[in-house]
This record gives sequence, C-alpha cells and structure tokens, in this order.
Amino acid sequence: MKIKGLTAGLTFIVLMIGGIVISVATGYWATESSKEPVKYETGDFAGEYNPADIRGSYSFQDIENTFAIPVETLAAAFGLSGEENPEAIEIKVFEDTFGIIDGMEIGTDSMRYFVALYKGLPYTPEEDTALPRPAIAILRKEGAQSADELAAAEAKSVTLDNFTGESAAAATEDHDETVLAEIKGKTTFAELYDWGLTAEQVESVLQMDAGPRTQTVRDFCMEKGIEFSTVKDPLQDLLDSL
Amino acid sequence: MKKKVKARRWIQIAFFVLAALIAVNHTLAESGMAIPFVAEASLHAVCPFGGVVTIYNLITTGTFVQKIHESSLVLMLIVFGAAILVGPIFCGWICPFGTFQEWLGALGRKIFKKKYNRFIPYKFDKYLRFLRYLVLIWAVFITAWSGKILFADFDPYYALFQFWTGEVAVTGFIALFLVVLLSLFVERPFCKYACPYGAVLGLFNLIRIFGLRRNADTCISCSACDKACPMNIPVSGQSKVINHQCISCFECTSTDGVCPVAGTLEFNTAALKGGKDEN
Ligand code: SF4
Ligand code: SF4
Repeated sequence: MKIKGLTAGLTFIVLMIGGIVISVATGYWATESSKEPVKYETGDFAGEYNPADIRGSYSFQDIENTFAIPVETLAAAFGLSGEENPEAIEIKVFEDTFGIIDGMEIGTDSMRYFVALYKGLPYTPEEDTALPRPAIAILRKEGAQSADELAAAEAKSVTLDNFTGESAAAATEDHDETVLAEIKGKTTFAELYDWGLTAEQVESVLQMDAGPRTQTVRDFCMEKGIEFSTVKDPLQDLLDSL
Repeated sequence: MKKKVKARRWIQIAFFVLAALIAVNHTLAESGMAIPFVAEASLHAVCPFGGVVTIYNLITTGTFVQKIHESSLVLMLIVFGAAILVGPIFCGWICPFGTFQEWLGALGRKIFKKKYNRFIPYKFDKYLRFLRYLVLIWAVFITAWSGKILFADFDPYYALFQFWTGEVAVTGFIALFLVVLLSLFVERPFCKYACPYGAVLGLFNLIRIFGLRRNADTCISCSACDKACPMNIPVSGQSKVINHQCISCFECTSTDGVCPVAGTLEFNTAALKGGKDEN
C-alpha cells in the first residue's frame, strides 16, 4: 500500500486533533500545573486545602476558588487594590513587586502565611517572611487566627509605604547574590548537593532517606508530613558553615 | 521549475502561524488581553520534546519537570505514533523551526544557486550528522539531573518564538544567530546537526511502516531525487531508503515530488516491483 504526501500530512493532523480531543475528554490534557493545593491528610484539618502548598503560579482567583477568600480581600491585603485585573495577579510577582523590605521578604510565603491565618489553619512561615500592614488590619477584623498568632504576625509586619521602586531593586540585587546558597521553597535536593552538602548531611537533618534529586525539599516534606521550616533552618546552618 | 510538495508548504505555514500565535497569546494572556479562541498555553506545554526530557522524571518520581505538563506527553505520543507510520513527518511538515530554516534556505538558494546545500562533502557530512545524538544525550541528562528544562537556554527555537519576553538566555540568542547564518549555506542546519528531537524521531526511519522505496527497474537514474533531498540523502543509490536523517518531506517522491517516473519512488508498505528491500 502506498501513501501520498497529502494523505500522510492530513492523517497526522487528524491524529493530532483526535489525540488532543481524547485526552481533553478524559481529563488528561493539561497545559499547566493544577491550581489546587494538596489537602491535609490527617489531624483536625484533614480534607481542607493546605496553604503550605500554595505556589507562585497561583493567581488571586485560584486562591479565592480554593480557600474562599475574596479576590478583593487579597488585593487589599497586599496593597494591590488599584490593579486592573486583581483576579489575574499571580503570587510570583510579589518577589519582584515588593522584594525585600527592612530585611524581610514579601513573597509567595507571605500569601501562604496570610491564608493560613485568615482561615485559622496551622502554618509556620519562613523566618524572613513578612506581611504588609493592610494584611494585618484585615486579619484583625476578619481573620480566624488566635490572639497569639495575631501577635506573632504583627511582629512580622512591614509598611508598604517604606518601599520605593529603587530600594526594592537594590534589595532584589543582593537577594540574587545570596540566592545561590539560600534554601527556598523551590530548592531541590540536587541544588543542596551542588552547593556542597553531602547526602549523609542532608539525611541526618531529615532523619530519613532523602528524596530524588529533582524533587524540591519542600515537596518532599509535604509528602512525608514534616514541617518544611523544621528542616530548612538546620540545612541552611549546614550550608552557612561550609 | 522544480516540482514542490504544495500541501506541505501550506501545512507548514499553518503550523508556523499557530505556534507564533500561541507564543504571543501566552504573553498577552499574562496581561489579561488574550486573543479569543487561541490556546493560552505556554510554549513549553505544547512542545512535544518536553515529553521526551521529562520521561526520566516521570518514571523516577512520578512528576513532570518544571514547566512541562501532561500536554507535552500527549503530543509526544502522537508524534511518535505518526513516526512509526511514515517516519519524522513532524520534522518535514509541522515543526515551525524546520519551516523557518527552510524559508531562510530559499534565500540561501537564491544567493548560492546550485552550490547551496552542497558545501560539505557528504562523505564527511554523514558523520557530522551524528552530532545531534550527543546533543540529545546531553539534553536528557541535564534535565534528569536538574529537574529543570535547562536545554531551553540553548534552544534557538525557543529564542525565536520568545525573543520579546526577556526570558531567553544569551546562549539561546547565540544559537539562533548561528542557525540563521548557517541556514544561508546549508538546508536545515539545526535539524541536521543539533536537534535532539530530530535525533529521537530519526530513529523511527529505521522501522517506519511506510518505507521510502525505489523501483530500480523503472528508475532512469536522473538523480533528481538526490538533488531535491534537503537532507542530502543519496536516494537514487538505494532500493529502500533507510537513513536516520530522512524527514519524510516527500520532496523526492514520484507521488508528490520530483521523481519524473510514476510508481518509481514512493512511501509504500511493500517493496516496489524491481526493487528489493535489501540494498
Ligand atoms: S529522502 Fe526524500 S522524504 Fe526523506 S528527507 Fe530526503 S527528500 Fe525528504
Ligand atoms: S528521481 Fe526517480 S527516476 Fe530519478 S533517480 Fe530518483 S528514483 Fe530514479
């Protein structure tokens, strides 16, 4: 049987469209990561979305969809009410928009922290994570956190007026220099090894076998049910002592 | 005037425009002004090569490498399916970067006339063509190692379709510049020497169901097929073309391309009369 060019070309296109249609129909087709955080598996909050799994690629709308916090509230908390499409704002822009203020960082972790407090869910933020003042004001009014937690959050608050575009840019710069050996949510095991830690050192901190090289330490902790912050600091200490 | 496979040109244009639209739309979507009815996917998500580099991760950790999603895997399987049938038809008919190089090649052909695409003697060239397997091994290795698509930093294709985003590394632009320059001398230089995806698809030439077959009885040895082949494959010397570089463009065939004798050079499941499958 022979096949002509046109037949072959069209067959390919039909295969392609058919394949895409089938995978869309079966729900397999996805061109981006799912915008739903994992849920708590055990404890009092089992079945609820875990704010620790909020990613930089989530938009305010994604947060509203999963945590039922209105987009307007989120925008107000982070001083972004003036933006045109607040629902489309992705959390990853925080790092560039705010960066480091007074040595504290407003980034993806700030959103995790805010959501956790607002919903009264347990979460330990990273040490240098900051919350903008408007966020604290909102929490005071509508948040489900305890008085102690509110006090802790207040200690981590920064004023947005303090930051000008310039200082943010400068801050992002030194930020870039240190980023090489700074453990963050997206740091993988491979990066730890590249920075000079040995597998034994990492495993001694984790007190179990490390995950695959390409996994992020944070994902690994989520999977094993350990608090990321409890391994992050000792690992960072090890790195700093190198 | 040389006979050209017209359907191919049109399909190539269509996919080039589609890829460009998706790329532009992804940028527009970020500022909330997406073109209606065009997918908002990132280019990584619709790259079938993404499927190849993520396989290692998928097997070992069950996750995709960053920026690669299920869509890449689906597209990869479709392209593989087609390749089992007729070989790397993706390269010859769909790949927008191949198309881009062919357009530049048309310019090169105007400049160098018959000398175009004949600068490197084939006896050396055919060994250089294995370079792309080294690129493949390296690309798969660094992705598996880092969990990130580091190859994008060197990918001229990515540079071409994302040059306005500021996400392209300098190395990507250098690669793109080199490909543009070389395309004026050589047809599809990236495909021949560097494309890791072409390297994978090229292997399907060894097993494709519709093989490219020549009928030695009716062949008039005019060598038109040899001259037409963008990949410089010596078609007229073989009764079944089994060459890892063929891109299934049909330019050489008697059904669609330059071969003047009907029934002499076609993609066929069975050996043609007068032709044996052994060379
Ligand atoms: S052998 Fe024929 S089909 Fe294959 S690349 Fe050359 S011209 Fe195209
Ligand atoms: S173009 Fe056709 S007739 Fe001419 S050499 Fe090639 S196979 Fe033979």
